[in-house]
Amino acid sequence: MAVKIGVMSFAHMHAYAYTAAVCKLPEARLMGIADHDPGRGREMAEKFETRFIPSYQELLKEDIDAVIVTSENCMHKELTIMAAEAGKHVMCEKPISTNVEDAKAMIDACRKNNVQLMTAFPCRYSPAVIKAREAILAGRIGEVLSIKGTNHGKMPGGWFIDKAKSGGGAVIDHTVHVADLMRWILESEPSEVYAEISNAMFHDKYDDCGMLSITFENGVFSTLDTSWTRPKSFPTWGDVTMSILGTEGVIEVDLFAQSFSLYSDKDMAAMWPGWGDNTDYWLVKDFVSAVAEGRPVSITGEDGLAALAVALAAYKSSDAKAPVKV
Amino acid sequence: MQRVAIVGAGGMAGVHGAAYAKMPNVKPVAVVDVIPEAAAKLAGTLGVPSFTNFDEMLKSASPDVVDICTPTPFHKEYAIRAMEARKHVVLEKPMARTLADCRAMIDAANRTGVKFMVAHVVRFFPEFAAIKEQVESGAVGKPAVVRTTRGGGHPGRWFADYDQSGGVILDTIIHDFDWLRTTFGEVDTVFAKGLIDRCLPNLDYALVTLRMKNNVIAHVEGNWAHSTSGFSVKVEVAGDEGLIDFDNKKSVPLVISAPGAGGKETVPQSPLMEDPYYRELKAFIDCVESDTPSPVSGEEGMRAVEIALAAIESIRTGKPVKVGG
Repeated sequence: MAVKIGVMSFAHMHAYAYTAAVCKLPEARLMGIADHDPGRGREMAEKFETRFIPSYQELLKEDIDAVIVTSENCMHKELTIMAAEAGKHVMCEKPISTNVEDAKAMIDACRKNNVQLMTAFPCRYSPAVIKAREAILAGRIGEVLSIKGTNHGKMPGGWFIDKAKSGGGAVIDHTVHVADLMRWILESEPSEVYAEISNAMFHDKYDDCGMLSITFENGVFSTLDTSWTRPKSFPTWGDVTMSILGTEGVIEVDLFAQSFSLYSDKDMAAMWPGWGDNTDYWLVKDFVSAVAEGRPVSITGEDGLAALAVALAAYKSSDAKAPVKV
Repeated sequence: MQRVAIVGAGGMAGVHGAAYAKMPNVKPVAVVDVIPEAAAKLAGTLGVPSFTNFDEMLKSASPDVVDICTPTPFHKEYAIRAMEARKHVVLEKPMARTLADCRAMIDAANRTGVKFMVAHVVRFFPEFAAIKEQVESGAVGKPAVVRTTRGGGHPGRWFADYDQSGGVILDTIIHDFDWLRTTFGEVDTVFAKGLIDRCLPNLDYALVTLRMKNNVIAHVEGNWAHSTSGFSVKVEVAGDEGLIDFDNKKSVPLVISAPGAGGKETVPQSPLMEDPYYRELKAFIDCVESDTPSPVSGEEGMRAVEIALAAIESIRTGKPVKVGG
């Protein structure tokens, strides 16, 4: 029996990749798309050869098992709780929400209604990350001492720079992936965050540069550059990297290094098309199989909240000009 | 013709000696080291007499310039003694272990009127000079975030003694602190995490965040730990109109793979007609000969030490540290 899935909003561009994965998976079936932007919803429904359903409530009345929530960050709570109350499992785009209270309400609603809540952290499905984690847990680099992380990107524009919808700029957008990977790899929780934050790239009302210093309960220290510092002319969208230092060795992870250089006169620009595994596909596949098998999802709402808490602590630290407890 | 004496006969002294040997207007005249074998070895290479006593060397070799390459804690003593003997002084970085020592040397140089340079060689690396030039020409617009990486394995020897070397922060990434402040202006706040007090044998590592007075955020990685590929130097400058990305591992015009002492050896190289140490020391000799200001003043050497000591203080207190405030 295929897991029947509906998509709630295409506001976040990751909706494409997740929906494409649903279509590709024999064990899943795309049942329809709802979107508060009907033009966008109709267009996507046509593209993915499925039905456009005019309202979220109607989508939830359909015979579906689970939903993918890929709206603006500020709507995650409303859509997730609505889905949970309709008895649907939820995979929610990161960051789980724009504040701690919303995330907690989402987690509670899913628990109360006996549905699962998964946070979409596709980087956990990078084979390089999986192997790095295995090596670390097997003690191959001894005791981990520090991690230097980056998640650079281009400024995404749109609602991502509208704080009311996104909850912030580069820091909330780009802290959570690597903060989640660090927690997952270290099996320890972030305890303190210091951050230097600026808007030196676009000189606007949102933050576009973030340099976090994150300390973990087990004593490991790390930094994370969340900045939208890739120019428009950069050959790729950005990066996710970690340089992990242990007492006995070091592990360098560059998640999207499986690429080649392309120089095309059509664009008059260099490009680095990737050829590595599609992590979005493996994320969706794992969610679908958790729902199908009735086993706990691999990345919970609590995981989403823990990563969000790091980003929120960074904003607090920047305001206080001091390290803050997470 | 400038007569140059080298004090301390370690690795950097050899590099400096080789540079002087190539300069037509320089005559190396002496090598001093408390270890007679070390002094004799380098002196032999340069074809000059060796000494174990500094004052004897001054008397016997009568140098014009004294180049000090001793471990850091001995910088002040030799520098001031050389200055008081009216010798021009080249001093290896870091200038000193303490700001008080830095100040004493600056005062001595001012009092005696000799030329004094702190050997911040990274300024003379053509890649760093070229990046600075691009930044200043506005190629990346207004700078926003700068990242640097420096290091590889642990240097061992006296460097392993924190009290002498100041660890990876004072000894190695001080290079980046110097280059950052000359390129992006003065530092406002330093926050750092590192292994300085972890007492791990032959392992030091630090991640330092600087907030510059002009709002630029800089991230400096210092690595005396493990390395995946030898000594690594990286620079990234992101501005509001562009990005510069440098990686020494990707700037390799020559690789020689040939039988060596330990079997087949592969050596990537980035040769230059005039290496950075030659350029640096030549700039100092030029300033002596033409009586122009030192290419890197004592004040500048002290500024870099101040940033490094702020980073160490931040690691120890867990708090951001204001520089010069």
